[in-house]
Amino acid sequence: MNVLLEIEERLRALLTEEPYRLDVSEHQAGLLALLKTELAYACERNQSFGNYIQAWPIDYQTSKRIADLPFVPVGVFKSNPPLSLVEGSEITRILASSATTGQVPSRVVLDSATARRMTKGVMMIIRDFIGSSRRPYLVVDTPAALASNGELGARGAAIQGLRSFATEIICCLSADADGNLRLEGDKLLECSKRWKDAEVLVYGFTYVIWNHLVKPLQSAGVRLDLPNVRVLHSGGWKRLQQEAVGKEAFAQGVATTFGCSADRVIDFYGMVENVGVVYPDCDQGNKHVPAFADVIIRNELTLEPVSVGQRGLVQVSSVLPTSFPGFLLLTEDIAELIHEDDCPCGRRGTAFRFVGRAPKAEIRGCGNLETRRS
Amino acid sequence: MSDLIHLVDSVEDISRAAIQLRGVAVNKEMDPRTVLDLFERWAAALQGNGMEAVPGVAFFRLWLRQGTLKPILERELGQGSVDGDWREEGQAKLRVFPLGVVGHWPAGNIEIQPVLSLTCALLGGNTCLVRVPSRLLESTNQLMKKLVTVDRDGILTERIQLLSFDHSREDLQSAMARNVDGAMIWGGQEAVARVRALPFPHWTRMAVFGPRLSVAAMDAEVWSQPDERRSWCERIARDVWQFDQQACSSPQVLFLERGARGAIDNFIEELREAFRKENQAHPRREIQPALTSVICLARANWLLDNVANRAWFSPSPDWTILLGQGTDIPKPTQFRTLTVLLVDNLLDAIEKFDGSVQTLGVAIGNPEKEDALAQAAGRRGVDRIVKLGRMHVFGSPWDAMDLIRPMVRIVRYVPSRDQKIPAKQTSLSSRP
Repeated sequence: MNVLLEIEERLRALLTEEPYRLDVSEHQAGLLALLKTELAYACERNQSFGNYIQAWPIDYQTSKRIADLPFVPVGVFKSNPPLSLVEGSEITRILASSATTGQVPSRVVLDSATARRMTKGVMMIIRDFIGSSRRPYLVVDTPAALASNGELGARGAAIQGLRSFATEIICCLSADADGNLRLEGDKLLECSKRWKDAEVLVYGFTYVIWNHLVKPLQSAGVRLDLPNVRVLHSGGWKRLQQEAVGKEAFAQGVATTFGCSADRVIDFYGMVENVGVVYPDCDQGNKHVPAFADVIIRNELTLEPVSVGQRGLVQVSSVLPTSFPGFLLLTEDIAELIHEDDCPCGRRGTAFRFVGRAPKAEIRGCGNLETRRS
Repeated sequence: MSDLIHLVDSVEDISRAAIQLRGVAVNKEMDPRTVLDLFERWAAALQGNGMEAVPGVAFFRLWLRQGTLKPILERELGQGSVDGDWREEGQAKLRVFPLGVVGHWPAGNIEIQPVLSLTCALLGGNTCLVRVPSRLLESTNQLMKKLVTVDRDGILTERIQLLSFDHSREDLQSAMARNVDGAMIWGGQEAVARVRALPFPHWTRMAVFGPRLSVAAMDAEVWSQPDERRSWCERIARDVWQFDQQACSSPQVLFLERGARGAIDNFIEELREAFRKENQAHPRREIQPALTSVICLARANWLLDNVANRAWFSPSPDWTILLGQGTDIPKPTQFRTLTVLLVDNLLDAIEKFDGSVQTLGVAIGNPEKEDALAQAAGRRGVDRIVKLGRMHVFGSPWDAMDLIRPMVRIVRYVPSRDQKIPAKQTSLSSRP
């Protein structure tokens, strides 16, 4: 059988399973063989990637655990052109990470099959947290973020990923000529009135929700009346840290603004390179790993997996992409391993908590030479 | 905070320390013999008692020996300078005097650097105001405690003020700069640039060491000899390991002259073995998570950028060997990541040096060939050409600069009458 077809068939089966029913050992045993097949496929499709895999100090074909398989650091997706396993003509979309000023964004290429799996994966995860019904979808962003062709940023990708839950989509921000975001208050109040008793889905980047929705409404003394809302947000806390807004204060502020309980505000961790996978907080405040993905928290000194209660660098995995080698990715984020199978929320498998971005390395030596003489 | 290093939080703290040091510098002369004697005793005190755990202490002990420093003093300051007297030069007389208060800004990655830096200024009779980087507080305290035990009269210790404050405190950095007559500045690009921009008085003399990078070179005659290969690989590993490859003297790249086809695999196997052994002997105890990412990314980018590139590395971030070809020095990764580049002719690589290279570690079979490489390297801005395995063993000149002379004044005295000044008459003893 054609390798790609074989992979496709196994992915189809995985994407019909409940995402959080397997314990850690079953889960990893199930993914190990598939990841090996995907690595072999990727080596065949991309000579450079094959060169990297060949140098890995452990032969991945004989590895007994996912932790020994060759991972790539996410930084490799900053290369131009982006790492790819498909011909240029097969690329339907490029996803770009939300790089901060002066940084190069990561870029990953999607073909139609990978894009389809990405949507399915996100849908399965979110369904487990908010249910499967379709509902009005309030996007705390501008309509431009809904553009569906060409290169898509992290915000756009997250917004798009939740479309399948929507009966209608309303964006409540607009941008002026300089790109400054502005809340469309009238539109929002009209939606609040119209959707009063309905289940409503809200999504926005964490700092966008806070700065462009919660703060303006708070200063105007306006509270919405949407008790059945589910507010999903992602994008990290870095910008809000400067304003000393923590997770709890954020959830409380958002809940007060929407007129719902704080447990309806769900933070999720995700990155464009980890295609089809997001990690929402469960009601215990933990993040879980779905059937088609894996997370290993690695000790920074040994790169070995840490034990429960320890922190380390996060390695995320996804078996869903076949358009780029994004199967096993070492991120620059730190997380803590909370449980293996025992989360009181009932979801099995690895449970972790995101701690933050690894602080920039402090290089102190007299050998630290940034610029060379010309 | 250690008892010998003062945590300072105000400009007044620094001014007070500087005033005390200035008083000592102006009023109390100290002859070099006294300094050499005390240094010799300090070296002895640094033997054993767990002091070997401080990286670089073996080198520092050797540095403090009279056998090391006396020739350096005489080369830099002239014959007879150890006596601290006027010496005749034609019709004139010359004598060394200190600058006064010397400020020291050591780099944060070399444990012995604060004490090493102040020894240079003390040999010139100066007093020392030293900002100790936060990472070096413990090691500096350990080293200084040993000096206190041998310097019971406080001859040297009253000439030293060790200070600790956050490097981002511009007010304190500026206060320190305003109070010094000489400055010894060591470190990376960002740190050096920041210190140099401080408001030093116009008379302050500066000696800047770093930032630089270093390179190794080996010819085919050396590395294709099976009986010599292992020892050379062990030497490279030692140079890479020391200071975690963050020092300006750490080799970042090894230019390897092409040899017989296939033999490179044997060389790399020996190098891997040497790296494994060195890692076993000197394992890393901790690492910043972001550095692990940097190392992993360097490995991946090297192999993804060019399919002809090869690499060998440990499953952990412990060590990495990147193999490719070319004469350009790649951006250093540091942290035990050595790039090995095959070249047809070592001179091709050296001819491309741009003044950033401090040390060239060499292993060359033919002495004439090595002389030619040294000549080319000197012309291209290299300050030190040394045998591989000794890239961190410094002497004077250091970075092609004297260490003691920049922090002294050599006073010329032409007597009004044609008569000799008796040698000992004008010299004061070390203590009143």
